[in-house]
Amino acid sequence: MTSMNRPEFYQRLAEILDVEEVKAEDRLKNFDEWDSLSVLSVLAMADSKYGVAIRAEEIRSVVTAADLAGLVEAKQE
Amino acid sequence: MNFSFRRKRISGILAVVPAQERFFIEEMKNFNFPETRSLKLKEVMGFDKHRLVEPGVCVSDLAVFGFEHLFNKGLLRPDDLDALILVTQSPDHFIPPTSNIIQGRLKLKPDTFCLDINQGCSGFVIGLIQAFLLLEQESVRKVAVVNADVLSRKTSPKDRNSFPLIGDAASIAIVERDAEASIIHANLKMDGTRNEILMIPAGGFRLPSTPETAVLNDVGDNNLRARDHLRMDGSAVFNFVQVEVPPLIEALLSQASVPMNAVDYFFCHQPNRFMLQKLADKMQIPYAKMPSNVVENFGNSSGVTIPTVITFNMKERLLKEKLKVCLAGFGVGLTWCAMLLDLGFFDFNNIIEYK
Repeated sequence: MTSMNRPEFYQRLAEILDVEEVKAEDRLKNFDEWDSLSVLSVLAMADSKYGVAIRAEEIRSVVTAADLAGLVEAKQE
Repeated sequence: MNFSFRRKRISGILAVVPAQERFFIEEMKNFNFPETRSLKLKEVMGFDKHRLVEPGVCVSDLAVFGFEHLFNKGLLRPDDLDALILVTQSPDHFIPPTSNIIQGRLKLKPDTFCLDINQGCSGFVIGLIQAFLLLEQESVRKVAVVNADVLSRKTSPKDRNSFPLIGDAASIAIVERDAEASIIHANLKMDGTRNEILMIPAGGFRLPSTPETAVLNDVGDNNLRARDHLRMDGSAVFNFVQVEVPPLIEALLSQASVPMNAVDYFFCHQPNRFMLQKLADKMQIPYAKMPSNVVENFGNSSGVTIPTVITFNMKERLLKEKLKVCLAGFGVGLTWCAMLLDLGFFDFNNIIEYK
């Protein structure tokens, strides 16, 4: 599995959230589309693109897009 | 743990589904959720149609209907059955076993070993393992493995994480001896420490149903569910499947010395299309070899999904030819299992509608 390219991660997140762009400081809860389907899609993305299994509770506890990227990176190490 | 069985075969499969189709597009009005997101859910998960029983319909009703069809069509003789294994999590009653109720309603002979097994998503493979073990006895020549569940009756219509994917159904697989059969391999694992991931919290002896356990609570994302209802921790199940199932199947194939590409089809439990496609991606199995179309056509009927995916996709082929297939079940328990066997030259392979 590849290590993380952050812009690419934010682009993948934007696709899940059905928006043009996600920035590092964006708060996930502010997106209309941030729901259980998006959480599941993030789990699947983390698994298939970064080779890590994260738990829904861990995702629920992060605040910004950068926190989420950090969570995936931490699991990769 | 590993199992192997010799000189056994499945000689036919019949699935029974409720006649009336329900449509996600209609039911999504019950969810407290923007329509665009419901449509996205439909697209990603593969929700479309599903089959649910009418109020009051029980597991024994579906099973008896299926057996009567087989008897009336001359596909099975009542006296030939030596054992009836029922795998269900929605029994007619706590007492007596529903397999005994079915035996009584069909007036099967007293020399019938009736056994209820409480298992879900792995229930078809577990039922087959039990049937193969019984067939080691000389007095047992033919076993019916019945999978049946009516879990829609325990699913909140206002829980969009569970209701759109649930389905009710029954199946009957006939298992018998076959001197020519090639060896059958199976692999099974269980982890009871994770038993709460898929659960109906109330209604048993630990937490009996009361007016309080029937109260709908907001469990997040505006989903409403009571403790009397089925609770699925979807994301935990997703991680469980991605982590545990690929190595299990790989170990099974290696135990059998069969390479992945020698398997014609992977017939898996059907939680939803999304999860199955991610599993196929992870194992590098082409989607065409791992059908995932049961939830969108019938719903996830727990242990009945593997017989349904076989019958729905291979109706004609399995009457005329033999295929090497890998079955895989995973879920409630937690339990995960796989079985490698040849399927084919069935006496029957059909889906009928319960009316």
